[in-house]
Amino acid sequence: MTSTPSAGPIPDTLKIVVAGGFGAGKTTLVSAVSEVESLHTEELMTSPSMGVDDLEGVESKTTTTVALDFGRITLDPSTVVYLFGTPGQRRFSFMWEELAHGALGAVVLADTRRLADSFDAIDFFEPRGVPFVVAVNCFDGQRTHRAEDVRVALDLEDQVPLLLCDARDRESVKEVLVELVTLVLRSALLDP
Amino acid sequence: MNAVPPGPDPEQEWSFESNLIRPYSLTGGRTRPSRSDFSLTSQVVWIPPGPTTGTDPEVELLLTLCERPLSVAEVASRSGFPLGVLRVLLADLMDQGHVEVHTPTWEHKRPDARTLRRVLERIRRF
Repeated sequence: MTSTPSAGPIPDTLKIVVAGGFGAGKTTLVSAVSEVESLHTEELMTSPSMGVDDLEGVESKTTTTVALDFGRITLDPSTVVYLFGTPGQRRFSFMWEELAHGALGAVVLADTRRLADSFDAIDFFEPRGVPFVVAVNCFDGQRTHRAEDVRVALDLEDQVPLLLCDARDRESVKEVLVELVTLVLRSALLDP
Repeated sequence: MNAVPPGPDPEQEWSFESNLIRPYSLTGGRTRPSRSDFSLTSQVVWIPPGPTTGTDPEVELLLTLCERPLSVAEVASRSGFPLGVLRVLLADLMDQGHVEVHTPTWEHKRPDARTLRRVLERIRRF
């Protein structure tokens, strides 16, 4: 932590990415623990490609707006955690790359009705070495799948933690975050 | 496992706008910032006294938001500027010496075990 004479301490920030398919409950999970109500920002990209350096002669080009929802948890004056929900579609991969860069880790939120939607996220984080946990959102109160069945269905490696959660419930989401930070801590201890 | 139901993709996290000119008019048409210091969780803070005369309203808004350290993502959220536009504006303000930016220590290296233990303890308690 550094400080400026005018504005006081400048906190260090940690970033956690929350990924998962549409409707899996990413925004709900972020809101459950955020101290500020759903923060939201947008990024523009040109369509169909995003490689535009200047705007000369582009009057007819269209832009796509990518929405980004995020939340904040101030752990203490020197440490702030940001939780970023990924834009659902992988065609916004430039945004996924930015979110994953320097991230402490990720939560892959799985919806048992659409488990296949979680593959994208898992396939993204695994090769990039981003530590992640899989949280199965049992938001309807029905634990229709056992955790072990989900592990098999997702073909998860043994060391990837998997837990059931209720994305609406603050305590439940805290458990998910504890699981993720524990995973990161474990690897920090094994490979300092 | 059930298949995804047929029909249109309900995912509507995007929309189309008619052109690029409007959002980027604030930046004089530039879509790339002059520097790349502004990651989403970098903290931006105003350096007093700031510009005195002829300040654009958007500059004034940004400087007001950054009176206390605020992350780039939150500045975007509160100002309503798209990230790309905001980064160009912030880079200009930094070039002019009106703001400074603090990249998170953990952006380029994993936190050490001591920090992680502290984070764990705080998450359990908050």
